[in-house]
Amino acid sequence: MLNNITTAIEKLPALPAGRRAALDALRSHGLPTTSEEDWKYTDLSKLDTLAIEDVAPSIENHDFPAAYDCGLDALNTALAGGRQTRTIEGRVELDTGKHQRLRLQVNRDAQLILDDRTASRFATFFAAIDIAPNARLRLLRIQNAAADAQRLTRLKVALRRDARLEAITVDLGGAFLRHDLDITFDEPGAEAQLHGLYLARGATHVDNHTRIDHRAAHCLSRETYRGIAVDKARAVFNGKIVVHPGAQKTDSEQRVGNLILSKGAEVNAKPELEIYADDVKCAHGATFGQLDEDAVFYLRSRGLDADAARRLLISAFAHEILDRIDDEAIRDRVTREFEAQLK
Amino acid sequence: MSLLKIENLHAHVDGKEILKGVDLVIRAGEVHAIMGPNGSGKSTLSGVLAGRENFTITAGSVHYDGKDLVSMNAEERAREGVFLGFQYPVEIPGVSNAYFLRAAVNAHRKHRGLPEIDAAEFMRGVRQKLDQVKIDAKMLSRGVNEGFSGGEKKRNEILQMLVLEPRLMILDETDSGLDIDALKLVADGINAMRSPERATLLVTHYQRLLDYVTPDRVHVLARGRIVKSGGPELARELEARGYGWLEAA
Repeated sequence: MLNNITTAIEKLPALPAGRRAALDALRSHGLPTTSEEDWKYTDLSKLDTLAIEDVAPSIENHDFPAAYDCGLDALNTALAGGRQTRTIEGRVELDTGKHQRLRLQVNRDAQLILDDRTASRFATFFAAIDIAPNARLRLLRIQNAAADAQRLTRLKVALRRDARLEAITVDLGGAFLRHDLDITFDEPGAEAQLHGLYLARGATHVDNHTRIDHRAAHCLSRETYRGIAVDKARAVFNGKIVVHPGAQKTDSEQRVGNLILSKGAEVNAKPELEIYADDVKCAHGATFGQLDEDAVFYLRSRGLDADAARRLLISAFAHEILDRIDDEAIRDRVTREFEAQLK
Repeated sequence: MSLLKIENLHAHVDGKEILKGVDLVIRAGEVHAIMGPNGSGKSTLSGVLAGRENFTITAGSVHYDGKDLVSMNAEERAREGVFLGFQYPVEIPGVSNAYFLRAAVNAHRKHRGLPEIDAAEFMRGVRQKLDQVKIDAKMLSRGVNEGFSGGEKKRNEILQMLVLEPRLMILDETDSGLDIDALKLVADGINAMRSPERATLLVTHYQRLLDYVTPDRVHVLARGRIVKSGGPELARELEARGYGWLEAA
């Protein structure tokens, strides 16, 4: 697979030195394999059909990181042709359907909408986001890509003193998806609210990995994910929370609920909690189940047909997340797309 | 003409026979009460009539308004005018009472070839019924039965009944767990629905509700069969003497 990618990138005209260095880093690190715990269920060798059209052309004015922490990090930079740095404020929309490597700074109040707009087959979107003291970021990532789309996204968000993050992620489409959302509390008083919904159908593989590092005291994190798997789809959720030494008065809660609606569907959801401080409040829980047949019967006993009753209950389960999208136009669109996927 | 006709009904749950030959005829305009000790088959009977699928009917027949009820699924029965008031109404977070009620009304309307009702027109129709059962309109925007007290759940059942205007009402222990005020509201709701075209089957353990809703006939179900039938005075006799004398018989 690696050869395939590197060859595709090397064929690009006027390859800058930074991009060559990224390729070298990719070769020396290699890509993660399923023998690594974080990649147990998501096999990147499935990307081996990568073609030249899946690679972005070289772009001027991008810088390159001095070092790469893993092969994927290098892969994304090599594919995106380098890194862009910008400050965001107000409402900003970016396209996760194109290879991009970003460093984003939030100094006040920003709303970042990550929408999958380009009908590409393969895209990697990596962004490091820094939220300044007292600043606030509302982050919305929506993925309803075509049925053959492969996506790797990684968002690393660092929160400074009293900063605030409200993140919502929704996955409705695609074929092979892996999303990493890493939150770090570096300074006290910050707060992060994460909500996510994944609907996996057909033969889709969708993997959401979240990690929250409480490195500073007096920070609060809330995380609620809901997943629905049907047909032969597989959904993976891994939510890791690490409370580091000294992160006293950490208040953290994580809930993940899953509906498995077909015999062939599979969900691997795992909360992971590591606590190295003694004065903290942490709670987590994961549920897996089918629809409540008593509720189905209750709805039918009032005249709703069985299909409509089931769809209504699945919607209700998802609306816990969808209703939190505060942009009305996007909420309506995503809700419509969700309902259409259920049909 | 009989609105509900049950003949020699036998039903199993998990291979165990619960109903062992029930016969019952209810005519339009009548209110019947089925009483009986715990485990006598009362809830099985109401579940079988409403179309619960965890029961197997092994013999006998049920006709509603001349039609074979057993061959209809739960939603068809509902749209044809059969209503079950649940002993334990289900909580459905995320589906608002208003949405649920309107979806139910529209399912009924579609069945009758009528156009869907819009939200505003629907609310106009519901408002007066809310007053009848003393449910605050604000509760309509909450999830179905979500966080409702026992009494609120039962009043919500009656609200659904008033809105859907069924012809055959089967109320399964609707009186259980109610304080006296809620019991009166529930009874008023049932009485408001009494008409020459409709019939009611009250399934209850206690005689209490029957002080407020006077039945035309009272039946005692014991060990899966109706062992005694009589007028309203039978309910008072049961209250005084218990069920032991009938079970032994």
